[in-house]
Amino acid sequence: MKLIQFIPVVWLICTSFVQPVIYTSNNGVVNFRSEAPFELINASSKELKGAIDLSKNNFAFRIRIRSFEGFNSPLQKEHFNENYMQSEQFPEASFSGKIIETIDYSSKGKYTIRAKGKLTIHGVDQERIIKSEIEVTGNSIRISSNFSIMLSDHNIPIPRVVKEKLANEILVSINTELFAK
Amino acid sequence: MLQRKLFIAVICSCSYLFIQAQDIDLNKMLEEEQKKEDKDKIKYTEATFKTTRLINGHSIENLAPGIMDLKISHRFGTVNGGAYEFFGLDNASMRMGLDFGITPHLMLGVGRSTYQKQYDLFVKYKFLRQSTGKRNMPISLAVMSAVMATTLKWTDPNRPNYFSSRLQYAHQLIVARKLSESTSIQIMPTLVHYNLVTNAADPNDIIAIGIGGRQKITPRVSINIEYYYQLPAYQIPNTANSLSVGFDIETGGHVFQLHFSNSRGMTERTFISETAGKWSKGDILFGFNISRVFTIKKPRKK
Repeated sequence: MKLIQFIPVVWLICTSFVQPVIYTSNNGVVNFRSEAPFELINASSKELKGAIDLSKNNFAFRIRIRSFEGFNSPLQKEHFNENYMQSEQFPEASFSGKIIETIDYSSKGKYTIRAKGKLTIHGVDQERIIKSEIEVTGNSIRISSNFSIMLSDHNIPIPRVVKEKLANEILVSINTELFAK
Repeated sequence: MLQRKLFIAVICSCSYLFIQAQDIDLNKMLEEEQKKEDKDKIKYTEATFKTTRLINGHSIENLAPGIMDLKISHRFGTVNGGAYEFFGLDNASMRMGLDFGITPHLMLGVGRSTYQKQYDLFVKYKFLRQSTGKRNMPISLAVMSAVMATTLKWTDPNRPNYFSSRLQYAHQLIVARKLSESTSIQIMPTLVHYNLVTNAADPNDIIAIGIGGRQKITPRVSINIEYYYQLPAYQIPNTANSLSVGFDIETGGHVFQLHFSNSRGMTERTFISETAGKWSKGDILFGFNISRVFTIKKPRKK
């Protein structure tokens, strides 16, 4: 009886003191693309920060909005920061949560997983489940993912004059390689 | 027994909290990392003003390299002309101009105004940028130099006339600071030089101090104010100081500037030192600038 009572306690204590195994990256690539009838906009950043705690299957990703380069003109970049993303007020976008599947990180291989968490863009949180490819290489974890973001979900209005030049659905792709910290 | 149960419960909740705390850490960790990186980077302040002009005069902003900006500006007559003059709209003067961004710090532009059949040419060089992070710089600095030529027929063709007599110059230092996301101010000490003045008693050099600012009302719309104070000792008699109030409205690749001013000219010489109207007498003119940017040279991809 007493022993049984103690099992969850011991388990909890053990798990909470397990040294977290954290993999991180500072230079992941994020690309986004807007395919509107009259204009195609492309931009990317190489400053995606990410961290995964293998012991708990937790993850967190962050990106500086101002680090996006590309666009069709410098003015467009300025408007992206000033008018659409308001990147002074909301300097970062983030995604953090838990990986639904449990992965055996000790064996090499490719896995398709679902990452469930809070996606914050333009200060608006969205609960999202995002499908990703994970490759365990032995000394690193590679992640690639393609998903889309609706501007309307994140309170980013499209002015009527640019309706044909800016898509509501923004296609995002992510590529990063995390190493043990 | 009860004590033990209590003990277990406490430990359980403690370890639960501990796990919770660790969950948040991942996000915090990245945030700390970002902060550390920011300290080693210079973050330049961008978009102090929406466009390269405040209202009549220059703002601290430069065009990006490879960009051409077509500017069409109109100034109508004074509003106090009444319904007969359709509140000034019967009387339009305009300036057409092309600005070019050469390097990130250098731009130049040319223009032609109907007012006094005037050509103008300017260069603007931004040599200090407001920044935070690794280098903390509270202000941005730029110099602007313009040369203007009036091409009206000589008033007295019988006396010897030289081309140099048609020229005037303006030199300006622009000191600007973006105070917050929506508020920016700038100060513009200016020297205007006339090669030839109308009356012998008029000064050849006019010294003025300009002050201007903008306040955003929405991300796309801002209110601008611009005022040039002429030092009384260096002022052409019977001229007023130029005061302008306007809106910047941004739509896609265009910036519209709508404003009210007591100045009719659109070049430094004409609005700083030759403003005749006074706000107090209702000598207010409506005007607008339309700007359309074109990318003429794409920056090389890295």
